[in-house]
Amino acid sequence: MSLTVEQVQQQIMTYLEATECNIIEKSPYHVTVKLSPQADRQLTNRPYYWGFVDRTGVDPETLSFTFVFEPDKYASIDHHSLHSASLANTANAATHPPQQDSILSRYFGFVPPVNRVGPGRIPREDVTYGSSRLQQIWAAARQEGACVYLFEQTSPLQRDTIFSAAYEPWLGVCFKVEMACDVKREELHFLGMSLVSGQIVTHFPDQLAGIELSPRLPENIHVIPASYALPAAAQELETELLTELALRDYSWAEEAKERQVNELAVLDVYYEDLLTEQDEENQMAIREQYEKRRQEMTWQFEPKVNISAITCGLFHLRSTH
Amino acid sequence: MNIPRTGGNNISGVPELPVPVHMDRTWLEQLDNRLSKGGPWGDWKLCQLAVQGEEASLVTSFDELQCLKHLNDLSPLPHQIDTARKVLFGMSGRAILADEVGLGKTIEAGLILKEYMIRGLVSKVLILVPASLVLQWVRELNSKFGIPAVAQKKAYSWHSDVVVASIDTAKRDPHRETLLEQEYDMLIIDEAHKLKNKKTTNYQFIQKLHKKYCLLLTATPVQNNLSELFNLITLLKPGQLGRQGDFAANYVVDKRQAKNSELLKTELAKVMIRNRRGEGPVNFTKRTVRNVSLQLSDEEQALYDGVTSFVKDQYKAAGGNLSSMLSLVTLQREVCSSRDAVFLTLVNLSKKIPDESPLTAKIWELVTAIKAIKANTKAEKTMELIQSMNDKVIVFTEYRATQEYLLQYFQKHGLSCVPYRGGMNRGKKDWMMDLFRGRAQVMIATEAGGEGINLQFCHHMINFDLPWNPMRVEQRIGRVHRLGQQNDVKIYNLSTTGTIEEHILNLLHEKINMFESVIGGLDVILERFEKKESLEKSLYKLFLESESDDEIRNKVSTLGQSLDHIKRQVEVDYVDVEPDPIVRKEEA
Repeated sequence: MSLTVEQVQQQIMTYLEATECNIIEKSPYHVTVKLSPQADRQLTNRPYYWGFVDRTGVDPETLSFTFVFEPDKYASIDHHSLHSASLANTANAATHPPQQDSILSRYFGFVPPVNRVGPGRIPREDVTYGSSRLQQIWAAARQEGACVYLFEQTSPLQRDTIFSAAYEPWLGVCFKVEMACDVKREELHFLGMSLVSGQIVTHFPDQLAGIELSPRLPENIHVIPASYALPAAAQELETELLTELALRDYSWAEEAKERQVNELAVLDVYYEDLLTEQDEENQMAIREQYEKRRQEMTWQFEPKVNISAITCGLFHLRSTH
Repeated sequence: MNIPRTGGNNISGVPELPVPVHMDRTWLEQLDNRLSKGGPWGDWKLCQLAVQGEEASLVTSFDELQCLKHLNDLSPLPHQIDTARKVLFGMSGRAILADEVGLGKTIEAGLILKEYMIRGLVSKVLILVPASLVLQWVRELNSKFGIPAVAQKKAYSWHSDVVVASIDTAKRDPHRETLLEQEYDMLIIDEAHKLKNKKTTNYQFIQKLHKKYCLLLTATPVQNNLSELFNLITLLKPGQLGRQGDFAANYVVDKRQAKNSELLKTELAKVMIRNRRGEGPVNFTKRTVRNVSLQLSDEEQALYDGVTSFVKDQYKAAGGNLSSMLSLVTLQREVCSSRDAVFLTLVNLSKKIPDESPLTAKIWELVTAIKAIKANTKAEKTMELIQSMNDKVIVFTEYRATQEYLLQYFQKHGLSCVPYRGGMNRGKKDWMMDLFRGRAQVMIATEAGGEGINLQFCHHMINFDLPWNPMRVEQRIGRVHRLGQQNDVKIYNLSTTGTIEEHILNLLHEKINMFESVIGGLDVILERFEKKESLEKSLYKLFLESESDDEIRNKVSTLGQSLDHIKRQVEVDYVDVEPDPIVRKEEA
């Protein structure tokens, strides 16, 4: 799956807004932003600077960026209208490729190109599907959003009624399933389970759609005590997932096994003679090599299923019972 | 928290999968941990973004190339994509990439590596290449593929995920031990034909490395000997061609000739991919060649004759010993290029001999002859050619002195030109190339080999003088006639009638047809020819020992024939063992 320019833009904006960055300028093709301390720590790779800030307690100075989503169209927008005249001519400079051959790149072969500087001396960067910045933002999101604890927000009406609303705690987990041999396929499963009733929902996001969720405890509600402990619920979700996975076609694993058996047979024939070597020392070396090659093949072909979680959390939703 | 720490319904039987399952439960620990501490809790929007990110980069199919979507600045050619697909999904990631020169083996390797990295099957990578190519690999992987490869510089570099190093460094202590301890998800070796001999330390070192996937890159998988091919494949997949003894019995007639070539081809096709020029996948533009014969002026002819007799006399005096004659033979070649080149060599020569030597007088005689020369016939002709094409052109010469002379001469006549030579550092080379691309009409180059001089934007080249080594001729042409060249390439060869240059051109053009087509495996042909003596040396001898022009002509002709014979033989050998061109399967 790839992403459209709009989707990339929307995801970047989600991140910038969630981390409370200060949007300086926005067009359909780009955004210029002053990062929040949180985003700066995650994106700019300046551990020493942040170590300094943390120890001395000075006010941090965060970096600004211009993220360009559609370079072609961005180049064509009129920077005169967006910036004061003194900055306008730097827009031209933005279209020049960066000066590559610094003394460092001559030595190391490659140093990340110095950012092209856009208007206002803010580094500009093209962000597209496949760019490392987007990968980094996803990784940051995964880090920051790994565990959540949320409540469904109530309507203003609820606050004024006498009866407190009953809330049910749900365990939600987004599993990533990796089916790997010498090739690989992945699936995502976002499951949810009510800790009260034990009901399991296989497309949990569907159930959450249209609900406003926030870590804030709403007024005038009560949470029904859970009857499932977390480890038990986790077990239930895993069982549900495995039941679903058991229905898959596993011919890929059989084929991989078959490849492995064939490769091993070829290997065995090759070493058969060599292993009759008389010289003991030589034979040791050959045996060692033979074992190593066999291990490599297991490593390469052995089919396996790895299951891990992208995110998990407790969701307190209004009880429908 | 109002969630019981234990209890709940009993779990019914957990379904078994036919494949071992590894369940990572760190999430549960984390959640439990945060529950007991009361946080910190993540942001819901970021949580959703994390899921969206995973969805966007999910590998949904076992056998569909994902990497192309990730590469914005690269559009691989169809044969490169085919090759990547075949290695990934048909060869389980162990293959010899044996495309002919210039078809982009590096791109293919990059595609395969990128795909494995995206799929999360590869993270630790070792890339071993000749020292001169380390930086080029690092540059290409970073800029074209966004793969954060680093060049090995210090011991700690080995701990980077993707390391490019020279094999000669890697096999030495203390690096050797470090590398043998690692487990590499992928090992890539460029110029792998250098691993043909299993007794070498390089070979034995590579054999000891631990690897999951492995790519061997070489343009010349079969050089002199079928057992070399066997050795190469043993590094990749021991036993693919059977045991050593079986291989010899099943496939080898004598060391060069294969039998059961159909069977051998089938077996080879399982581990080796070879795309060839002109076989469809890539269309190179045409080459047109024009030989420009020139008549030396009387003064130049006088110098030529003077030098020729001087050199021959010295050769006879030395009793036909070639080793001490090298600078003199150079003189003979330089005299066809420019008087400046000759002058410089004469000066150096005179410094080496004692003042009272009778040679000194002869050298002065020649210097006088040089002084008499007022114009350079070749330079004038070149000037005329350049003005008539009115386009970018690269002029190659063998000699620094000629390069300097031409720079001055062209500049005096209002042509903008830049020099390019081997001694320049990388930055200066790139700068010269940028100047040539942007402003200058002419580049005057003394060097064609080495990395990084790609001049696809220029399609005229003038050989002001010719190297005697066909490899160097091929390198020169390769700078201009390569992937990305949009126009037919025009090659002009200058040669002066009645000089050795005429014979050399005759040999390279008429006899081995260097200019009009790419010779497959030129290096192999030369290696076989040069079993006894280098081609250049043979030529030197031939010229020095011949009495007349006719004799030279006959000897050159014989030499050409034997080269041509080897060429045919090599072609047969290739066809014998090469897999058939890749037949593209229609995908369902």
